Amino acid sequence: MQSILEINGLCRRFGGIQAVDDFSLDIKEGEILGLIGPNGAGKTTLFNLITGFVKPDSGTVFFKKKNITKLKPHKIANMGIARTFQQTKPFKSMLAVENVAVSLMSKRAKESKNGSDALEIALKALERVEVIPPESNMFKLGSQLSHGYTKRLDIARALALEPEILLLDEPFGGLGFKEMSIMNKVIQKLHDEGITIVIIEHKMRELMKLAERLTVMHFGAKIAEGPPREVAKNEKVCEAYLGKEGGNLFA
Amino acid sequence: MKNAVTLVKKAWSFRLKIFLLTSFILALLPALTQNYYILEILIFANIYSIFGASWDILGGVTGIFSLGQALFFGVAAYMSGALNLFLGLPPWMTIPIGGAFGVIVGSVVAVPSLRLKNEYFAIASLIFPSILTGIISMYPELTGGEVEIYGLAPISGDIVVTYYSSLLLMLVSIYVLVKILNSRIGLIFRSIRDDKETAEASGIDTTKYKFLAFAISGFFAGIAGGFQAHLLMSVGLFVFDPFYSLQAMVNAALGGMGTIVGAIGGSYLMSFLNEALRSIAQFRVLVYALVMILVFRYLPGGIIRLLAKRYRISLETWSGLKKLRRRENDAIHS
Repeated sequence: MQSILEINGLCRRFGGIQAVDDFSLDIKEGEILGLIGPNGAGKTTLFNLITGFVKPDSGTVFFKKKNITKLKPHKIANMGIARTFQQTKPFKSMLAVENVAVSLMSKRAKESKNGSDALEIALKALERVEVIPPESNMFKLGSQLSHGYTKRLDIARALALEPEILLLDEPFGGLGFKEMSIMNKVIQKLHDEGITIVIIEHKMRELMKLAERLTVMHFGAKIAEGPPREVAKNEKVCEAYLGKEGGNLFA
Repeated sequence: MKNAVTLVKKAWSFRLKIFLLTSFILALLPALTQNYYILEILIFANIYSIFGASWDILGGVTGIFSLGQALFFGVAAYMSGALNLFLGLPPWMTIPIGGAFGVIVGSVVAVPSLRLKNEYFAIASLIFPSILTGIISMYPELTGGEVEIYGLAPISGDIVVTYYSSLLLMLVSIYVLVKILNSRIGLIFRSIRDDKETAEASGIDTTKYKFLAFAISGFFAGIAGGFQAHLLMSVGLFVFDPFYSLQAMVNAALGGMGTIVGAIGGSYLMSFLNEALRSIAQFRVLVYALVMILVFRYLPGGIIRLLAKRYRISLETWSGLKKLRRRENDAIHS
């Protein structure tokens, strides 16, 4: 498989904390990559670096052989790298369908929709994230929606950009049992459509069902990478999550 | 689905009804009274409706609180005055050109707003009108300095004609601003107000649209400023008074922030309150401040939203949703 996103030696320091430390990663076209690590490992910062919300101190990010390292967030989004937020931030005073429509006003969406109606695309994007029937929640304000719904609304908003890569920051965070299975179905479906997906997640059981490859971060650096089963057995990974003695518990 | 469609339909027809009704009543008023005093109050109410709405598109819709809206108002007033006095241009030309200067000033002020968070920009914006006051005082030969400039051409010698000009200008301005609010541009403005980061993640160039919001706001504030200059037939440093900035804000907030049309209601109410309080004119700022506090505490959505709530409709809706009607019709016919 071909690389779609290449991250080389990315560094970013916040005051005294090295949030991301010489991090390199190749993301292959069409895969589902899981990004895991203890709290504060720098996973979200990595997303922020890729999408331009935070500028790196050093290192490069290449998207389909194009350097996107110092580009502004909206430029990167318009190239086809869409993201969701860990703390979902819907447009609170806007209807759900309007939330999705905002993405449709971007340059990329305008070019790709070739004359078809923005409303239709917005409704389709909501259907793609299993908001069925879309009517029930579509005309609620962002502030009136349930947490599970805003998580999927955030993905619908990202999907309206017709992205090639989707960066999901804890899509299962705070979801109930039923909502988790819907989310799982949605992500699987998007994967089948050929979208490259990177997921940050703490819910290992859900991630193990989806991810074909895992990358583990600790103190901003990569400590392991590979198929989920191998990574789970990795000594360093157990140590990072549970400490030195904790690692022995599994021994 | 049906509920949603009726909801959207209702919103549009309600808005249109209110707009037409207001226009109708205001257009008929001179038939009832030609009292100079009353018409003058109404003319000012019309000007401050535009001015309030110009604040609203920036503060209420885009979420960039400017506490120095008098800057655009004042610059345009001075420019209209200068063009009229030095070049002899008539009001119908100087007022839009004044608006164009509002756009230029707006674009300049937009630059610090990109670097400052909203709260800090609000504080910074307080100072802008004072800077202009300083500059104008520095060149008295050219600007008149601290002395007011007199002798501008009036809008019209007839108060009724002046009233209709102000009414027409107000209705057209509000109509255009409401159109913007419900267009895709308005949708983007609202998304920036709600969450700038999410808007950027959605591929929106927020910098560009912030500039646009400032430009639109500057233009309409400028038109209001130019009109007032010709109405008073004079310009002076008073146009940069913080009281004007406060007035724009109170009118928009009382009527309903982010609704544009609210500014009309707010402006008319405040204008009459102002006149009622003429005997205690020195406390006017106090009254405005009090209204502001009461509105923010007890009626944050403004008067117009109170009405809209009864009909369960939202006053700011992307016009793309209108197509739902067509969808529903197609479904019935097929």
